[in-house]
Amino acid sequence: MSELEFDPAANADLLDHREDHAPGDEPVESAGHYVFNSNLGLGFSIVLTVAAFVLANSQLIYGPSIPIALLVLAIAQMGVHLVFFLHVTTGPDNTNNVLALAFGLLVVFLIVVGSIWIMNHLHANMMPMPMEQLRQMQP
Amino acid sequence: MSDIPLPAAAETVRRVREDPHRLGHRDPHAHETVEGAGHGKTGPARKRIIVGYGFWIFLLSDIVMFSCFFAAFAVQREATAGGPGISELVDMRRVGWETGALLLSSYTCGLSFAATNVRSKLWTQIFLLATGLLGLIFVGLELLEFVDLASRGIVPQRSGFLSAFFGLVGLHGLHVTLAGMWLLTMMAQVQLKGFRPEIVHRLICFNLFWHALDIVWIGIFTIVYLMGATS
Amino acid sequence: MFGKLSWSAIPFDQPIPLITTLVLVLVILGVLGLVTFKGWWPYLWHEWITSVDHKRIGIMYILLGVVMLVRGFADAIMMRTQQAVAVNAPGYLEPEHYNQIFSAHGTIMIFFAAMPLVIGFMNFVTPLQLGVRDVAFPTMNSVSFWLTASGALLVNISLFIGEFARTGWLPYPPLSETAYSPGVGVDYYLWAVQISGIGTLMTGINFVTTVLKMRCPGMSYLRMPMFCWTTLASSLIIVAVFPILTATLAMLSLDRFFGWHFFTADAGGNPMMFMNLIWAWGHPEVYILVLPAFGIFSEIFSTFSGKPLFGYRSMVAATLFICIVSMMTWLHHFFTMGSGPAVNTAFGISTSIIAVGTGVKIYNWIFTMYGGRVRMSVPMLWSLGFIFTFVIGGMTGVLLAVPPADFLVHNSMFLVAHFHNVIVGGVVFALFAGLDFWFPKAFGFRLHEGWGKAAFWFSFFGFWITFTPLYILGLEGMTRRLQHVNVPEWQPMLILSAIGVGVIAIGVVCQVIMLLVSIIRRDQLRDESGDPWDGRSLEWATPSPAPFFNFATMPNVEGEEAYWGIKTRAIESQRLGPEPKYEPIEMPVHSPVGFFTAAFASVTGFALIWQIWWLAGLGFAAAIAGFVVFAWRDVHEFHVPAEEVAEVDRARRAARQKLLERLAAQEATA
Repeated sequence: MSELEFDPAANADLLDHREDHAPGDEPVESAGHYVFNSNLGLGFSIVLTVAAFVLANSQLIYGPSIPIALLVLAIAQMGVHLVFFLHVTTGPDNTNNVLALAFGLLVVFLIVVGSIWIMNHLHANMMPMPMEQLRQMQP
Repeated sequence: MSDIPLPAAAETVRRVREDPHRLGHRDPHAHETVEGAGHGKTGPARKRIIVGYGFWIFLLSDIVMFSCFFAAFAVQREATAGGPGISELVDMRRVGWETGALLLSSYTCGLSFAATNVRSKLWTQIFLLATGLLGLIFVGLELLEFVDLASRGIVPQRSGFLSAFFGLVGLHGLHVTLAGMWLLTMMAQVQLKGFRPEIVHRLICFNLFWHALDIVWIGIFTIVYLMGATS
Repeated sequence: MFGKLSWSAIPFDQPIPLITTLVLVLVILGVLGLVTFKGWWPYLWHEWITSVDHKRIGIMYILLGVVMLVRGFADAIMMRTQQAVAVNAPGYLEPEHYNQIFSAHGTIMIFFAAMPLVIGFMNFVTPLQLGVRDVAFPTMNSVSFWLTASGALLVNISLFIGEFARTGWLPYPPLSETAYSPGVGVDYYLWAVQISGIGTLMTGINFVTTVLKMRCPGMSYLRMPMFCWTTLASSLIIVAVFPILTATLAMLSLDRFFGWHFFTADAGGNPMMFMNLIWAWGHPEVYILVLPAFGIFSEIFSTFSGKPLFGYRSMVAATLFICIVSMMTWLHHFFTMGSGPAVNTAFGISTSIIAVGTGVKIYNWIFTMYGGRVRMSVPMLWSLGFIFTFVIGGMTGVLLAVPPADFLVHNSMFLVAHFHNVIVGGVVFALFAGLDFWFPKAFGFRLHEGWGKAAFWFSFFGFWITFTPLYILGLEGMTRRLQHVNVPEWQPMLILSAIGVGVIAIGVVCQVIMLLVSIIRRDQLRDESGDPWDGRSLEWATPSPAPFFNFATMPNVEGEEAYWGIKTRAIESQRLGPEPKYEPIEMPVHSPVGFFTAAFASVTGFALIWQIWWLAGLGFAAAIAGFVVFAWRDVHEFHVPAEEVAEVDRARRAARQKLLERLAAQEATA
């Protein structure tokens, strides 16, 4: 084997004292900091949730734009969860986590948007069905 | 890097000390090493990093499974076969309570992990118990919702739309139930075995799972219930 | 009490399954009897069944895959012979039976032959090439294997208790719904595939984590062997798409068991959604199979040309490109379902684009050979056969990627010939090449070269004799899955194809003889040094067979082709590196959890199929309980003392010293 043996202590002075960790796992962070993040996360989430419920049940904004607004609020709240509860950030100790998340989101996008796109086109091209036939399709 | 070339021996010593694996200086931060980031300088990562990352990958696969049910719901939203549509299913107050319970449970779960980090068995158990009770409230409310719907004849066997609705919401409820069973096991293990490394690793995974379930619920209550009520 | 199960489930009135069952039962009882008589159970239990060693698990996967490959091939023989004789005649297989055969053939070949074989290679080779001792989650690895075996068991049980699906290997609704498939066949399929699918998903998670987080010191991303990159890409696809399979089959199960309406023809069900989702899984699935095959070829081309792989970075880029784009092409499996020109064009373009990645790889392999000293070993023969076969298969694929052309040949024999062309030429050839290449590392002796070459030539020519007629028949309009044929002009081609299958069968026999002869003559074929092929990657630094801890001390990597650098330095300096300081090693303990989980999964699956609800509930509870019991264990590692490590490694160094002296003597006389 090689002349250079692997000595785990050798790189100790070169090591950045951050280390890669799973989302939500922050062993070197103090408990106070962790709780503060959780509080912030809860606060933001409550605001976003209440906003969504209020928007859905009132006439505050232009009707047809409500679904988009709800989607934006939902994505924002998912982001709040990821950042404040799961600590998924853009630091070098999180690169693997972010890449994996991006990959997962790509797949979700392909499946959901792809399916909707394909099925809509299929639906548009299928023979229109008269009312009696539709009623016959009930179990 | 200085312009003055060092004597060959000193150069070799410096190279061996700074870059024992000849990884070169293509990476401008070559002297910084984040352990476990996978760039190969530090060998295999520690178990805690490996377990956490593996579970994160599993979670992403679970999210993909949910996305299939979301896709089915989106496609079959109008396929009511003459039966009830989404607006007849939504009970806004119940959804509000479910959302509140699950969000709070996510918060208490995070607090339990903070307690684990400072190795406080008491507070870990208290917050885990709170998480479990809030989760139980969520599942209970959802079961009540299903029973209520069934009593009105609104069952998944009625139409494609209802199959997609019960499939998506039911899958999430099933995940919460299984996570609840996992939570009980974790509480027992923490009580009997303390904070051994593998127990802490499992708590990391449990945390991830519980938070992910809340993230999926955000998608469900927005897309299924809120958008459904406003359609 | 026993749900739908009754004595009528056993096919007393069908001679072929009945006789097959009797023969199989006798063989199994014979094997079990032999093992008991020789007292091998403790050894098998402690060393193999409960093993969490990636090498043992890899070998078991490959064994499972080879056995199921033979079963799938038997189905193929039946289909080709039936079609050859059933021209304006009924043939010897009734339609009800024939439909089960082609369904079983596809299901077995994809899920229980190709997948286990590919995963077996990933298991055996990847940790060795990465210079580590095992995968990220060794016990979960064992669970993965046993769940796959459980699925295979269920499929095989369907042969003699009940029936199998008649829907083809992907159970399209409405045919697969209860209304049109009321029997248990589709349920067997669903539970076998679901159970093994969970195992596969766990494998994907395991290998993504292993490749990204567990590499020996100095092995940065761009120093990994190409096979490890393809393992990573394939595992990423597994993680991304197997949940789609699980979800879609779960939806179909809900339809069948509880009368839901995801895919039914009535009440708002949408059968086309099944095709959409199942192919969103199905297309990436074939890339899961072919990417590690490409990895195997990368290793073989560089080793047997005596040169580093040409264009390593472009290979990595091509692999990741294929990984991502493979998830964007799935609609090409149902161009004709009616999504219209916009959608069809988009997916036609993406399908054509993905061929670019593979083209880059083919050129790189050819350029690797150019200027090298090519050795025509058995693995190299399979690799050259692959280049020829796969490129043609790929070209027919690009033809099929053009929607207007596909409208003519969709679901014809042309399609059947295409996908066999790429899977056999790509995946199966790779598996045989890899078997020959890594066999010495697994068992300590090489395979007989003469019989290996015979096996290759018969298989290669047999393949082309079988499938060229099918291309022609497809262009002439013959549809797939025909139990009988009404066009007499097609018979000559069908007969030629059946003859081809016979030639392949001779190839299979040659493989069996090769194995037997190699075992008998293993002392002459012994691999003394651990490096029989003048290898370039780290697995060849270990003895053959590799010790359970793989490496006595984790290697330090200083460049690409880690082992090649170490070897060259040793040869130049005429001595091995200094003896390292031996430390004790912690290795994971063996565990029965995989076996028991799978046993309970099999019981639960069987009970669900036959709707024996109490048994299903019991089996499921037992599986959960078993898992909790496993989670309660206190000891999960065992200690290997430094002296034992030293002893094994000193033997290895002695063998290497002998190799060095032999090479020096060769240099002196040259």
